[in-house]
Amino acid sequence: MGVAISLFILLCALPVIYMLGISFISTDGIFSLVNYRGLLTESRRRSLLLTSSMLGAGTAVLATLVGAPLGLLLARADLPVKRLLRLVLIIPLVMPPYILALAWIYIGGSAGLIAWITGHDLFSDWTYSLAGAIIVLGISFYPLSMLATEAAAQRVDRRLEEAAMLVAHPRRVLWRITLPLIAPATAAAALIIFVLAVSEFGVPGLLRVRIFTTEVFTAFSALYDFGAATALASPLLIVALLAGWAANAIIRDSGDRLLAPRRSSASGLPLPLGKWRVPALIFVLLIIAAFVALPLTILAAEAGRAERIVSAAGKSRQAITNSLVLSTVSATLIVLVAILLGYWQGRAGTRMRRIVDLVFILIFAVPSTVTGVGIIGLWNRAGAPGTVYSSPAIIVIACLARFIPIAALVLAANVRQVPASFEEAAEVAGAGWPRIFTRIVLPNISTGVGAAWVMSFIFAFGELGATALVAPPGESTLPLRIYTIIANAPSSTVASLALVQTGIILAPLTLFGIFIRGKRAQS
Amino acid sequence: MGNQKGTFIQLRALTKRYGERVVLDRLSLDVTEGEIVALLGASGCGKTTTLRLIAGLETPDEGEILIADECVAANGRNLVPPNARGIGFVFQDLALWPHLTVAGNLDFVLASAGVSKGERAEGRDEILRLVHIAQFASKYPHQLSGGEQQRAALARALVARPRLLLLDEPMSSLDADLKMDLLRELGALQQSLGVTTIYITHDRAEAQVIARRVVTMRNGCIPQTVSDKELPARVVMCEQDND
Repeated sequence: MGVAISLFILLCALPVIYMLGISFISTDGIFSLVNYRGLLTESRRRSLLLTSSMLGAGTAVLATLVGAPLGLLLARADLPVKRLLRLVLIIPLVMPPYILALAWIYIGGSAGLIAWITGHDLFSDWTYSLAGAIIVLGISFYPLSMLATEAAAQRVDRRLEEAAMLVAHPRRVLWRITLPLIAPATAAAALIIFVLAVSEFGVPGLLRVRIFTTEVFTAFSALYDFGAATALASPLLIVALLAGWAANAIIRDSGDRLLAPRRSSASGLPLPLGKWRVPALIFVLLIIAAFVALPLTILAAEAGRAERIVSAAGKSRQAITNSLVLSTVSATLIVLVAILLGYWQGRAGTRMRRIVDLVFILIFAVPSTVTGVGIIGLWNRAGAPGTVYSSPAIIVIACLARFIPIAALVLAANVRQVPASFEEAAEVAGAGWPRIFTRIVLPNISTGVGAAWVMSFIFAFGELGATALVAPPGESTLPLRIYTIIANAPSSTVASLALVQTGIILAPLTLFGIFIRGKRAQS
Repeated sequence: MGNQKGTFIQLRALTKRYGERVVLDRLSLDVTEGEIVALLGASGCGKTTTLRLIAGLETPDEGEILIADECVAANGRNLVPPNARGIGFVFQDLALWPHLTVAGNLDFVLASAGVSKGERAEGRDEILRLVHIAQFASKYPHQLSGGEQQRAALARALVARPRLLLLDEPMSSLDADLKMDLLRELGALQQSLGVTTIYITHDRAEAQVIARRVVTMRNGCIPQTVSDKELPARVVMCEQDND
């Protein structure tokens, strides 16, 4: 356990602490608030803060407007083939956002679908804009709102709604009882979406929207100005940390205050749609058509023939191989560390658990480019750190730094589902902790471990912001290759590689889904 | 069976199935207006299902339910929705709305009953005084003790002056002393308000304290009714068991 905690501190916490510390140091090497004063006094930084905040807020609003109703419908409504609908609806979440941005460009850009149909470039100003970035990120993140709302709607105690039904019309019950109970989870998801949006690098970069993450990248990679990069990163770090803290407070508060005083295993009441069933289904299918099918179709159309896809993949074979190897190694190491951290957190007392929850969420909230600059500051030194820094291992370290916390949170939730009495029975029978952990705990969380590995692989494979900063010269991953060739390569090549990346990401997810279905069928 | 004078609730040959399992088997029961009746039986005998059918939260497969001579369920359908039956219900897990204060829980019921905002405070405060939790009006359910939550749930069930009060094992998680105190208070409250009450329990002692008439249930039917708190030494086999 000590090793896992040490690795967490070294890999995940230290870059953030380092960045926070540096943000309070002036170029003279003394304590100073100049970076934060500049946030208020420099018009450029105020503009960046405003744009970043608008991107985050706009994305959160759009994602919630689309995702929350979908979540409620999936949880309660009598829709057909719900499982299939849910699977299709979460596809945008597993696709890297910059791939959706590519599809957006191919639709609305100066050489895009709309320009081709109309014969005029009507839309490119709107495509490359803050509004365009909000739409793309809203599409990318609405599944988060959907899943959070669905989970909350399923957890509502049915008795609470029945008690209201005895005195009120079902519509009033929905508005005054059901929705207020679901609202905290939806609000927490909106805050997390805000954080993910302001931390996003690829989409604003592609759509030419200047926000903090893109400026951090420019300051460092183009100008190698560590001080400027740090200065630009600091307000972003604070915004992300505040939003992450607020999200955790909402989740924690709703757990303490808004659950039924006594537990009931009966989940919420169904939502009979009646004459609204067909319109609801049309709404769901429209979302799928516009947000899932259209981007994939446009990428496929842009790629053209299958031979082009194969050819593009062949020319980027090294990048694809690098991504596969580095993501597999990253996911495996992430899960190895996160299992131990998750167990520790899952079995901790309430107070410690809350503190650790907050720390994990805060670190996950840190933007990728900020993490990247922090890693450079810590590892770009003489000796062993420098050796690691100039090897592909630094990309693995960047993935560990970003995704260990979220994997630990997922696994902690799994550990809490295993009754402590299971371990106590083994302890009484004479087993030591390693045996208890490997023979009792691990088998009972094996599905969660698999899910954490798949999730870590997907995140690591799509990681761009930190990778773009830390990747050694000559080393490339598939996301990095796509991002760097966009300006110069034919769109068919870029679209082909985007499809290859999407396919690689969907493959483990699909396999895992099949595995889970098989396991459920057996039991 | 004709209507009896003063009969408020009539359950006629109620049958309820969950898949292959028959939970209620041609159950019939009359409850007089203003009476408090205890339904006594082991877990799984159909007590809660009976209450939920009366409340309209479930639909009987066969049989009829009449409340104040009005048929509210028949022919496999609920004819009157739950919110129009004038029922107060205390659930086994209380079901206090966690996002509303105690006052908020009561206000919701009064507002749904069409009571104006100005009159709600009076009605709410009166019932909170009757159940002795006026000082907790601004508290949330999770801030109350078990006994206080009980009282809050009872206040919510009574605030709109229902014509029928249903209680589904509301004291099951309380300690014995607190339970007896609350039961006596409940009995006194029911007497003063005169509301027809059906109380479910699996505890003979509880049934003895709260009700003058105890109806035992077994396997979804009623083998025996006992008046004046004289409970049988053992449960008598139901007639249907011999079919």
